[in-house]
Parts: sequence; structure tokens; C-alpha cells
Amino acid sequence: MVSTAPLIGLAKPVKKPLGEVGGFIALALDTFLAAFRPPFFWRDVIEQCWFIARVSTFPAIAQSVVFNGMVVFLFGVAAVSFGAGDITGAASGLATIAQIGPVTTVFVLSGAAATAMCADLGARTIREELDAMRVLGIDPVHRMVVPRVVAILIAANLLNGVVIIAGLCADYVFSIYALNGNPGAFATSVTLLTNFPTVLISFVKASIFGVLAGLIACYKGITAGGGAQGVGNAVNETVVYTFLALLIANIIISVLTATATLAT
Amino acid sequence: MSDDTAAVVRARFPRLTRSARGWAAGWDRLGEQTAFYAKALVSIGDALRKYKAETLRVLAEMSLGVGALALIGGEVVILAVLTGSAAAIVGIFGYVQAGSLGVSAIAGFFSAYANVRLQLPLIVANGLAATIGAGATAQLGAMRISEEIDALEVMGIRSIAYLVSTRVLAGLLVVPPLYCVTFVGSVFTTRAVVVFAYHQGAGGFDHWFNTFLLPRDVLVSGFQCLVQGAIVMLIHTYYGFTASGGPAGVGEAVGRAVRASIVVSITLTFVLSLVLYGKSGDFHLSG
Repeated sequence: MVSTAPLIGLAKPVKKPLGEVGGFIALALDTFLAAFRPPFFWRDVIEQCWFIARVSTFPAIAQSVVFNGMVVFLFGVAAVSFGAGDITGAASGLATIAQIGPVTTVFVLSGAAATAMCADLGARTIREELDAMRVLGIDPVHRMVVPRVVAILIAANLLNGVVIIAGLCADYVFSIYALNGNPGAFATSVTLLTNFPTVLISFVKASIFGVLAGLIACYKGITAGGGAQGVGNAVNETVVYTFLALLIANIIISVLTATATLAT
Repeated sequence: MSDDTAAVVRARFPRLTRSARGWAAGWDRLGEQTAFYAKALVSIGDALRKYKAETLRVLAEMSLGVGALALIGGEVVILAVLTGSAAAIVGIFGYVQAGSLGVSAIAGFFSAYANVRLQLPLIVANGLAATIGAGATAQLGAMRISEEIDALEVMGIRSIAYLVSTRVLAGLLVVPPLYCVTFVGSVFTTRAVVVFAYHQGAGGFDHWFNTFLLPRDVLVSGFQCLVQGAIVMLIHTYYGFTASGGPAGVGEAVGRAVRASIVVSITLTFVLSLVLYGKSGDFHLSG
């Protein structure tokens, strides 16, 4: 008989991360199932949406304007030296809609909304409010997690629209007034590389990222423990994991769609 | 007389008074923050002389992480993954979109240009805020809530020098090696995507990459990251240092700090790149 002792020693450092991943997937499935179980808490969803909009609209617009300003300056300069200054609009339209819009949306959602959500749920967890709910026969996933995830899904789409519009306006202003571009050429070329599937994929991306951020925030929130430091760590891990999940999901979606959305 | 007038005005225009008071409070907070930052920067000398051990401890914690984050390799690995994945996007879009304009050969130029000037400073700004910044706010906030900071002051330890300046100093020290790792990582990722996934000739890619990789750009982008390290640590320690309202307050402070530092450091990166690169690109693609 072979001893399993060394294997157990080996399994220890692997066990915790695997347990976390498993717990997260379990929560995601629970949330999905609970979302279709009546009653649905509309009031909470609207309240959370309002809250998310309040904390993230200004940072989202600020970040979008800056990101786009840099893209226009860098690629405007490059495009002019190709002798293709007129396609600045095309490049900025594509960059804004396909990448900057969804990515900025989720940077802001995870930095501003998901952290607040995780802090709120984490504080409730360590005050044992969630346990009290379970004792009363209320499912915390159904009552707390589902409205938050639905709200962040709605808010991500709305915010994505705001970010894209703010970004395109910034592109226009920078390339016309700073790089002395041609307004007509800019406006005509915006749709050169961007078409309806690009816009659709942008919103699908924002939805996927939003749901991921919401689920990660709720998971870290309801598994928080260990006082104030514990809640702080949970919030910190929320930001890190949402950023990682977002960028990895972004690569996968971009690889799948980069060639499919080319307007030729 | 003037007190009476003020009371009448307050009673007559309650909403106006409230919004004026809100503005005044915001203005006050700005002044407080500025004073805090000045104090923290001045005490860096103290931190360097008296709290060397603490600075080194904080530095180790930042670079390799604590708790669950240490399990996945800490700050270094997280930032490398973040910038690496953004570099993969640069590769994908650089190759595919340049291809749609008929110039896919210059994907190497995109790697040297977009990675260094655009992607690295912006992603590092977000990454620093999310990882070491948020961690610092959580730690200091927890210490403030459990009255450990008051205890430090009672023991005669200068709390700002001991807690804040050491972290700002560590934030400045941790960025250069971090920048080197992320720079090499993102350059190799873009090359791998273009050469191995899209099968472009490695020689052509390297030629364009080496031609347009300007040493000055790399220095400027590294400098931007260094400034971000200092800004992020200052803002995050301020929000942690002034946290209040129990565990929920700590969580909220982390959220507010991430929001503030992302907006500030990205705006600063934008301004710095306009100032340092100027309006021209310093390269000549065509004649």
C-alpha cells in the first residue's frame, strides 16, 4: 500500500485557491438559479442602479476622456505620418467602441461600485446579519446577491453608452482642435472600421464584465471575516480579482471577435 | 447684529445654506488633504532615518503581497498579468487593424509605440491603485478603526512618518523593478501574439520594433509610473488614515480611494505625456 502522506502535504497549498474558485462558481450558479425564482426585488434593483450610477458616472467620464485623449494623440500623430490623417476618426471610433468603452466601464465599476458593494455585504457578514437572514428563512443569495448582480448588469450597459459617447466627443474635440484635423473627414470615417456587430459586441462585453464584477464583489463580501481588516482585505481582493478576470475575459473575447467584426 | 442676519439668511434660504455648507466642507477637505500630503512628503526624511526596518517590511509586503494575494504571487505577478493581457490586446488590434489598412507589417511599430506610451502607464496606474493602494487603505483604515493609530501617537511615535511616509517611500522604491518586469512582459507578449498566433515573420517584427523603440520613451513612461506610485500611495494612505464608521467605513474608504486615485493618476499621466512627448511623435515613418 502506498502512503498518501506526501500527497496530502502537496495538496495543502493548492486546496485554498481551488476552494475559492469552487465557492465562486457555486455562488454564480446559485445566483443564476435564484434570479428566475419569484419574487423578484425590483425596488432593490432600482436602488442599487441609482447608487452605482451616482458613484461611477463622474469617474467613468473622466477616465474615458483621458484614455481617448491619449489614444487620439498617439494614433493621430502616427496616422498623420502615414499620410492617413483623415482616418483618425476611424481609429478612434474603433478604439473607443471596441476596447476603451467596455474596459473603462469595468475599471470604474470594479473600482467604485464593486468595492462599495463588497464593503456593504462584508460589513453585513461580519455583523452576522446574513446569518440572521438565514435563520429567518430568507435566502441571502436570492434577497441580496441577485438584485445587486442584476443592477450592475443594467448599470454596466448604461455606463458603457455614456463612456462611449463621452469618449467620441473627446476624440472629436482633441483631433479637431488640438491636431487640426478635418471635422468632416472625422465624422465620415468614424464608421469606416466600426459597424453594428462591433457596437453589439461592445455591449455584450460590458454585460459580461459587469456580471463578473458583481459576482466577485458579492462572493468576496459574503465570505468576508475577521473584523475591519477582513472587510478591507475583501475589498482589496475584489478589485484585484475583477481586474484580472476582466482583462483575461477581454483577451478571449477580442481574439474571438477581432477578425469577425472587421468592416471590409 | 451680523449673527442675527446670518440666522435670518439661514432660515430664509435653507437649501442654499446647505449647499454652501457642502461646498465649504469640500473645500476644507481639500485643504486638509493638501496639508496631509505635505506633512507626509516632508516626513519621508524621518522615515528614511528612523523607520528603515518598517520601510523594508512595507516594501516586502507590497512587492510580494499578503494574505490571499500572496498565494497568487503578489503585486509583481498581478501587474505582469494585467499589462501582459493589455499587451496581447495591443498585438491583436495592432496586427488585425493594421492589416485592414494594408500595413500589417508594422505591428512591431505598434508594440514599440502603443505598449510603451499608452498601455503601460495607463494599466500600471489602475493596477497600482487596485493592489498596493487598496491594500494600504484597508490596513490603515483597520488600524484607525481599532484605535491603533491613536495608540501609536500615545506612545510618542510620529504616526504620519511611521505609517504614511514609509508607505510612500516604499511605493517609490517598488515601482522601478516592477516597471522593468511589466515592460519586458508586455513587449514579449505582443511579440508572441503577433509572431506565434498570427504567424508574422519574427525578423520583420523585430526590425520595426527596434527601429521605433525610443530609449527616451521608455524613460518617460517609467517616470510616469514612478509618479503614479507616489500619487497612489499618498491618496490611499490619506483615505485609510481618516477612515471612520466601523468595518463598513473601511470598505467605503477603500472604494472612495480607488476612485479618487484612478482619476487623479490617469489625468496626471495624460498631462505628463502631453508635456513630455509633445504634439509630435518624434518618429518618421515616411520620408
